[in-house]
Amino acid sequence: MLTRKLRMAAFVPAMLAAGAALAQGVTDDMLFNAHKESDNWRMVGRDYMSTRHSPLKQIDGKTIKRLVPKWSFSFGVLDAQNTTPLIHDGVMYVTSSHGRTFAVDAKSGAMKWQYNHPLPEDVGKTMCCDIGNRGAALYGDKVFVATPDAHVVALDMKTGKKVWDVTLGDHKNAYTMTVAPLIVKGKVLVGMSGAEYPTRLFIEALDAATGKQVWRRYTIPAPGEPGSDTWGKDPDNLKFGGASAWITGSYDPAQNIVYWGTGNPNPDWDGVGREGDNLYSNSTLALDADTGAIKFHFQYTPFDVWDFDGVNEHILADLDGKKVWLHGDRNGFLYSIDRTNGKFIYGKEISKVNWMTGFTPEGRPIVNKEKVPTYDYEAKDICPASEGGKWWNPMAYSPDKQMVFIPSREICTDIKSAKGERAEGKPHWGIGSIKWNKGHGQLVAFDAKSGQKKWTVQAPSPFMSGVLTTGGGLVFAGTPEGEFKAYDQDSGKELWSYQTGSGIVGSPVSYSIGGKQYVAVPSGFGGWTGWATIGGGGAPHLKDSRKGGYVTVFGLFEE
Amino acid sequence: MRRSLLEIGLFLALLASGMAHADDELKNPYAGDAAAAVEGKKLFLKMGCYACHGHEAEGAVGPDLTDDEWIFQPTDSMIFNTIAKGRRGTVMAPFADQLKPEEIWKIVEFLRDKNRQRNAK
Repeated sequence: MLTRKLRMAAFVPAMLAAGAALAQGVTDDMLFNAHKESDNWRMVGRDYMSTRHSPLKQIDGKTIKRLVPKWSFSFGVLDAQNTTPLIHDGVMYVTSSHGRTFAVDAKSGAMKWQYNHPLPEDVGKTMCCDIGNRGAALYGDKVFVATPDAHVVALDMKTGKKVWDVTLGDHKNAYTMTVAPLIVKGKVLVGMSGAEYPTRLFIEALDAATGKQVWRRYTIPAPGEPGSDTWGKDPDNLKFGGASAWITGSYDPAQNIVYWGTGNPNPDWDGVGREGDNLYSNSTLALDADTGAIKFHFQYTPFDVWDFDGVNEHILADLDGKKVWLHGDRNGFLYSIDRTNGKFIYGKEISKVNWMTGFTPEGRPIVNKEKVPTYDYEAKDICPASEGGKWWNPMAYSPDKQMVFIPSREICTDIKSAKGERAEGKPHWGIGSIKWNKGHGQLVAFDAKSGQKKWTVQAPSPFMSGVLTTGGGLVFAGTPEGEFKAYDQDSGKELWSYQTGSGIVGSPVSYSIGGKQYVAVPSGFGGWTGWATIGGGGAPHLKDSRKGGYVTVFGLFEE
Repeated sequence: MRRSLLEIGLFLALLASGMAHADDELKNPYAGDAAAAVEGKKLFLKMGCYACHGHEAEGAVGPDLTDDEWIFQPTDSMIFNTIAKGRRGTVMAPFADQLKPEEIWKIVEFLRDKNRQRNAK
């Protein structure tokens, strides 16, 4: 009897724990070990290192000729489809433009539920670069999305019903969101958009269960805080200096550090009145994941007058015993930085660079004064243009090959700055005139350890998609013309292509169900496209490109 | 016979709706007014229209507002209403809360003027 009681005593908690695990859905263990399994894609970077590398190898250089579309799914809305789909236990959770989120059977494409966030009709007024979204996050039994009007919403993973909804800023004053959240130990981390307007932006951690704020880290110091003396004499610069945080960070569990990028100072192209480094704009902040405290930082472009919005992602890699983050910046460089202390290791040109002439040993750029625009001087042929180099679209890293694959472009600009009117809720760029000069696109592969360029694929248009690498030795990327392409990792040779119907400005993923590998890619042209057309344009052939809103899923053809 | 009556009824209804449309057509009081076009550009920049359409309205996130494809299809009324009320389901937001009707008409004239300049080249 006693034995039976003991057995029951052991059995009941075990059952409860199992039940809790089932109800939890996505656990911390799943996220910590995302890089060790291949079926799912549970966060936008795929793992905490943000590799965007799937170990799956069923689709490889030999089988890819049998890669065919299996299903497609319409979002029912147009404009920028910037998302990365997520996969958890056979279900795809995918966001679209205009505030929509969908759960879809990842094998058949059948919709399970849809959430349409009710958007205010004036939200487009304060979104510089379209009403897009970069993806969701999964944790426990919930799906988390950030919305254009600066809400963070938790949805029931099974039904799509809203569980909680918190507002982090006033969209009328350009506090908006496009970011995909990052889950870290029960917290939902998000960052704000809005640095093309007078704003003071931040990264925020919310309790995943309740939506309550855990911490907020402003990217611009308050008066008197370290770095507050880097914004010139106008005290209002500390209230309105921008420094957005709209790209998802990475997380190093061993150090409990979150690496999160920050964007350009405001106004974008006019530095008069904000002379100084403008901390912490254009930086990577190494944040204590529990408190949001800044442990250290690295700034890519101090006193930015080119809109080299340094917000891009961080790939965490261990190379010859060195723990680094890899960061492709809009200022034209691929950086390797020691992620234990923020020390500069290398900066290598992704595209042509002439706005600076070299680095100090600490990695500070030595600026080429001929390329600094002023009110009276039009700086010509500044390379790269504001979009890089590497724009926001995420690169991928193959741990097998220790190679990085970067979506890129070779486009330069002519800029003259001007004094603008600073008014909340109104764009404030500081532009007198701007022209983008015709260029081309490229996909560039680097050896991560040395920073040596391995190969370059040239294309008529910039690569505007994220990149996916796979254990099958492939690199997938999409073009603004809508072509979804696969390349050989070693040589850059194109192996496969499929026309998705609209430009690809989101990111592909790969997953497996029942032992079969799938590759998914969103398509739907949009976002900031001024670089393509203004003043002649970097890629004028992209004017009036076809819009769309789909995800297309591919698998191997079977007889 | 019943079909013919139905067709006549439909024709009359369409005619009536066309006449109503013509009566509703708004006219730009600043049409051809060069000073209004200059004012319109200032308002275009002040309101931040350039963020989506470019400083010269040549198109970026939003469409080129100076080319024939866009400009000759809509009437003055349609452009006025697009600025005033926005286009639901797109990025274009309403501006009637921040612009007076005469200010919207000046922006319309700025866009018409840009189109004329473009076609004169």
